[in-house]
Amino acid sequence: MIALAAISAVTVGTLGLGAWGVRFVRTTSDLLVASRSVTAWWNAAAISGEYLSAASFLGIAGLELQLGASALWQSLGFTAGYLALLLFVAAPLRRFGSYTIPDFAEARLRSPRLRPLASAIVLLIGGFYLLPQLKGAGLALQVVAGAPYWVGVAIVAAIVAVNVAIGGMRGITYVQAFQFWIKVFAISVPACVLLIHFGGLPGRAALFGQQLPRAPARGLTVNLPGRQAVQFPTAATITIGGRRVTVAAGARRTLPGGVPIHLTAGTAVPVAMGTIAQTGARWSRPVGGTHESSPLLVYSLLVATFLGTMGLPHILVRFYTNPDGHAARRTTVRVLSLLGLFYAFPAVYGALGRALTPQLYMTGQTDTVVLTLPRAAWPGTVGTVLGALTAAGAFAAFLSTSSGLLVSLAGTISHDVWPRLRREPPTGVSVRRWRFRVAALGAMVIPALLALLAQSIDISILVGWAFAIAASTFCPMFLLGVWWTRLSARGAAAGMVTGAVIATAAIFIGLALGDAQTSTVGALLAQPALVSVPAAFLVMIGVSLGDPAEVDASAEMLALHAPEGLGLRLAEDDLDARADLAAAPRA
Amino acid sequence: MSSADGDRNPPPLRSPRQELADSTAHGEVYLRRLRHAQLQLSLLALVAFGAVFGVLPLALYLLPGLDHVHLVGIPLTIWIMLVPLSPLFIAIGWLYARRADALDAAFRDLVQR
Repeated sequence: MIALAAISAVTVGTLGLGAWGVRFVRTTSDLLVASRSVTAWWNAAAISGEYLSAASFLGIAGLELQLGASALWQSLGFTAGYLALLLFVAAPLRRFGSYTIPDFAEARLRSPRLRPLASAIVLLIGGFYLLPQLKGAGLALQVVAGAPYWVGVAIVAAIVAVNVAIGGMRGITYVQAFQFWIKVFAISVPACVLLIHFGGLPGRAALFGQQLPRAPARGLTVNLPGRQAVQFPTAATITIGGRRVTVAAGARRTLPGGVPIHLTAGTAVPVAMGTIAQTGARWSRPVGGTHESSPLLVYSLLVATFLGTMGLPHILVRFYTNPDGHAARRTTVRVLSLLGLFYAFPAVYGALGRALTPQLYMTGQTDTVVLTLPRAAWPGTVGTVLGALTAAGAFAAFLSTSSGLLVSLAGTISHDVWPRLRREPPTGVSVRRWRFRVAALGAMVIPALLALLAQSIDISILVGWAFAIAASTFCPMFLLGVWWTRLSARGAAAGMVTGAVIATAAIFIGLALGDAQTSTVGALLAQPALVSVPAAFLVMIGVSLGDPAEVDASAEMLALHAPEGLGLRLAEDDLDARADLAAAPRA
Repeated sequence: MSSADGDRNPPPLRSPRQELADSTAHGEVYLRRLRHAQLQLSLLALVAFGAVFGVLPLALYLLPGLDHVHLVGIPLTIWIMLVPLSPLFIAIGWLYARRADALDAAFRDLVQR
């Protein structure tokens, strides 16, 4: 009940601020990009708030519980992505002054024909990224309120769609900054309180020693939500609904749902199929503990996250709220420190969860460890309150990331896809605003339906795919487009198609093969960035070199690289005027 | 601009700013120099980052002995993953941003001279 109240408070706060923001919406550019008069710290908090999604709040701890310390590479990669963004694209892209990735592709390469391709990739990445947010919402309401999985998916999808449709991003800049601090508070306070309560990490033998996760001293009783295939790492005698069953080591059984299953104290916990039972020593190895933490897979994940961050449509658009290139750099450095602060905490939940919620290995719902841990670790009021806090933080994560993604998706649909379908002349502001709103409602439908199907796929895996596709498409286009004059429209198109096709095909082949991926090839199917990113770069460079070097990119280079304040930049006065316009209603 | 260029052309009547605004060949040289200096700086920062973070997974893989070194009951490898990397990213980012802004400022001085 407390948890539901906390979730409601976060949601109502978000809706309220969104509704408050709508009063300031004046023009379409307001709807798409909030006022530029935002300070670097506000902006950094807003970017971090938008970025910290279900994958960061629930997924990393869940993956850590399941795989071990190798999950921490993901949080490091998520942070390092902003370093790549800072070093290569933050200031130039801000100076270039395009609002969206399709805008950039068209303007930099002077090719209107790149627009539909870039728009399609925005929709692909955004869809892949929305999916795990909605999945997290379904899981969270399941844990907190016992609601069926689809209820959480439907509720968050509806709230975000309506909120974006009425508020745009104008209100959301401050909402996102606010939500960042909610998330930091919600993940850090329970982690610190629990560590103090236990005087450190309990159950070290299963964390770093030679033990498997075991049932605690009072035994372990689990009610599975449904039938679940599990594997027993050691021989055990368990009680299923009052009937004693003895199983051999390595045996596979399908356990029934809805029946209390009791493990006596010290029994090694059986693991859901697809999870590997690991001793503490293996679990705590950052690389090479299992095939899922092979060096190849770690590097592939790091490539995807390091290079994929700059290609996320909902993050890039936020950089245009910096007043100039210098501010874009300052903001990004601040983002690095804010993310570093947040990512210190998810690891605590994975480690405590291994000792205190071993039943998650049986149910396979490791993604819920942040939500279930506080109540399991500290029964009573304290645990309930801490659990309510993490649930509220998780909802802040779903709402903020989904809102940012949906703004990008709706903007792309209403701005690029819709007019193209109708083949009509430019329309007025009121029609564009109306279209943005309809698109916001419509763009949520497909990800929500897919989220219902993707219940069994880990949140981190889903988000990893979005990063892999972004790294294989927009990243090469940005890096080469910003720094290389020879990049041609044909080259960019060919490279992006290559990257998108390889990454997407690998993901779906990997899905079709299921759990059979224990080899090197299997690892690369699960995280294809190590192959698809170089392929996209090579094709982009090769095709561009094959094209005649007749297009003169000097005007674009001037727009990308010349510092502000020299009066050289064509759009400079225009942008200032727009910032004034946007700031005016606040005065 | 080298002195040889200055000898061939009479003393410039046009300011660098005008050259840039009209995107003449001279203006392009100014800008290309800035772009190359910025790219060099970014690549230098990338190398610094790669030299530590890029080789870390391989180093941890090839030195499994590190797993058995414990510090306050927690393996050294976990400490390495959790503590020093984030400050490293911030330090590289901060130093880079300072240098990049300085390059922009130097360009601004050159053009407004």
